[in-house]
This record gives sequence, structure tokens and C-alpha cells, in this order.
Amino acid sequence: MINGFFRRLMRSSKGGSKNVAKKRLKFALIYDRLEVSDDTLNNLNRDIIEVISRYFEIDKKAFKLDICRYDDVSALVVNTPIIATKHKKRAKSKKAK
Amino acid sequence: MEGRIIVITSGKGGVGKTTATASIGAALAMEGRRVAVVDMDIGLRNLDVMMGLENRIVFNIVDAVHGRCQLRQAAIRDRRIKNLFLIPASQSDNKNVLTPDDMIRFSKKLRSEFDFVFMDCPAGIEQGFENSVAGANDAVVICTPEVASVRDADRVIGLLYARSITPRLVINRIVPDMVANGDMLSHDDVLDVLSIELIGLVEMDDRVVIATNTGTPLVMQKGSAAGEAFQRIAKRLNGQHDLPIIVPSASKSIWKTIGTKFGIRR
Repeated sequence: MINGFFRRLMRSSKGGSKNVAKKRLKFALIYDRLEVSDDTLNNLNRDIIEVISRYFEIDKKAFKLDICRYDDVSALVVNTPIIATKHKKRAKSKKAK
Repeated sequence: MEGRIIVITSGKGGVGKTTATASIGAALAMEGRRVAVVDMDIGLRNLDVMMGLENRIVFNIVDAVHGRCQLRQAAIRDRRIKNLFLIPASQSDNKNVLTPDDMIRFSKKLRSEFDFVFMDCPAGIEQGFENSVAGANDAVVICTPEVASVRDADRVIGLLYARSITPRLVINRIVPDMVANGDMLSHDDVLDVLSIELIGLVEMDDRVVIATNTGTPLVMQKGSAAGEAFQRIAKRLNGQHDLPIIVPSASKSIWKTIGTKFGIRR
């Protein structure tokens, strides 16, 4: 019984597994409702990396693309660590091409 | 007066559609309405065994729709509950033998014969779903407090809205102790993601298994929490909109806690 009491206490502080369930559910529904396929997201991912790479040197492995939902709107959130800014001249010359 | 056709659906299988159909149908018949429950799971019929009427099948819905028999011949009268009828599915056909147009025509007959008709929709969103929804006025979506079930419910709700049907939700198999421990989605969590009108909360109940074993309608079993919840859902469908929705709560009684410890109660 004491064991159960402590377990309950621990759980209430962590929030229990239902919070994980709810979070996963919300994400699944966002993807379902927007009807974006994995392919589309992968292509978008690749294209954004390509564009950003023209201007910055980025850590491609840490690049993250997410769809977040705030009440009624869905937002595309891109997060990437920047290693260095590419030289302006080079960026410009590349652009000129 | 024209009857109402209500489709009971969920998308996902195994969440309790057939149990809900049998229970709500029986409860409404006990309220004095003339009720038909229709098994739309053609090829995999189960509503008949759930209701204990599997030995009395002569004709089925495919016969009735295709005019091989009269509607009254296909509707099996339940001898225990007055005004309750079962229209069984065919076991030897597949879902494509019926079309939505067939069902729209057939539902006119059903509406003139019964006050309430419950369509027990098969799992999935294919032909069987299309046929079940075609003639329906209303829909009840069943889900359990699990990620997969709620996700599929969301999909089905979207499909129903696209057909101008506003569904209402039943959350089935709630385990109050797990909800209290934060290990099961609460009905508020589910409603938060689904945004749909709630019509009933049903808790996990061992008596469902017992009722299924014996083929007795759950609502005829005394002291069944799930049976009582289905009865209240039936009353709400019958027009008692102000009937409060009871949230299954974890019993805090010290005797139950001790009983659970010693395995006497659960």
C-alpha cells in the first residue's frame, strides 16, 4: 500500500504515460489532418537545407523540421545550428551563377 | 412518424461497436421504441451471436435488399425484449454485393417500419463503411482512450462531416483507476483533441465478456456499469438531452482498496 502511495506520488509528479499518449496523438492528428506525406516532408527538408546551405554552413544532422500546432493554426518550425556564415563574396558569386 | 437511422462506427476494429449497437438497441427497445439493429459487417457477422440470436437466422440483409424476401422476414424478433429486431448480415457474400444506392433505397423501408435503426458498421473506411453511412441520419462514433483508436475516430469524424452528418462520441472501456493515476487518457483529453459532442462514457466492465459468452443483452444484466452507461446513452438518443453524463470514477472505498490488495475485488 505504501509502495502504491509512493508510486502514485512519483507518477503525479511525472504526469504519467497519458501525457506521452496525448502528445503523440496530437502530432499524429496534425500530420493526418494536413495530409502531408513523409515524402513531401522529406523533400521539403532537403530543399530547405539546400537553400540555407547557400548562405550558412549548417549542421545537417542536427537540422530539424517540425509542424507545430497552436490552437487553430499550424506552423512550420525549422531549427538548425549554424556553424559559420559563408563568405559574402562567395555567396554572391554563387547567386550570380 | 419517420424513424431515425443511426450508424455506429469507429474506424478502428475491436473498440466495442457491436457491443454498443446491441446494448443501445436493446435499451431503446426497453424504453418502448420499435428498434432494429442491422449487422452491416457482411462476410463477418457477429451481432447475431452477441445478441444470442444466431440459431434463428433464415434470411439476411442481402436477401432483403435484393428483394429475395420481405423486410419483415429478414428481421428476427428478440423474444426477451419486446420491439427489438435484428437484421443479420450475410456470411457468404462480401461487402461489394451492396452499394450505397441500394442502402439509400432500403433505408426508406427501414424508416417506415421502425422508430430507431442502428447500423453496426464494420471496421475500416471502405465499402462497408460507405454502405452503412449511406442511408443514415445520425452517427455515433465509438472510441477507447488509446492513441490508435482516437486517431481513427478523428479520421471517421472527418469523413462523416464530409457527408453532412454531425456525429456524437461515446468513449468506451475507460479504466477509472488508470485515469486517476495519469496512465490513461481522460475523457477531457480525448475531447480536447477531437472537438465533438459527447453522448456517453462507458467504463471497462467484465460483465461485457459474460454477456457476450451467454448471448444476453448487457442492459438486461443487473449492476453492470457498462450496461447502465449504454442505457443512459439510449435515453439521450430518445430525446432526454438534459440527462447528465456520468464520469466513471475510481472507487476510493477503503474496503475496495483492501479487497484489491488481496485479490478479492478488482
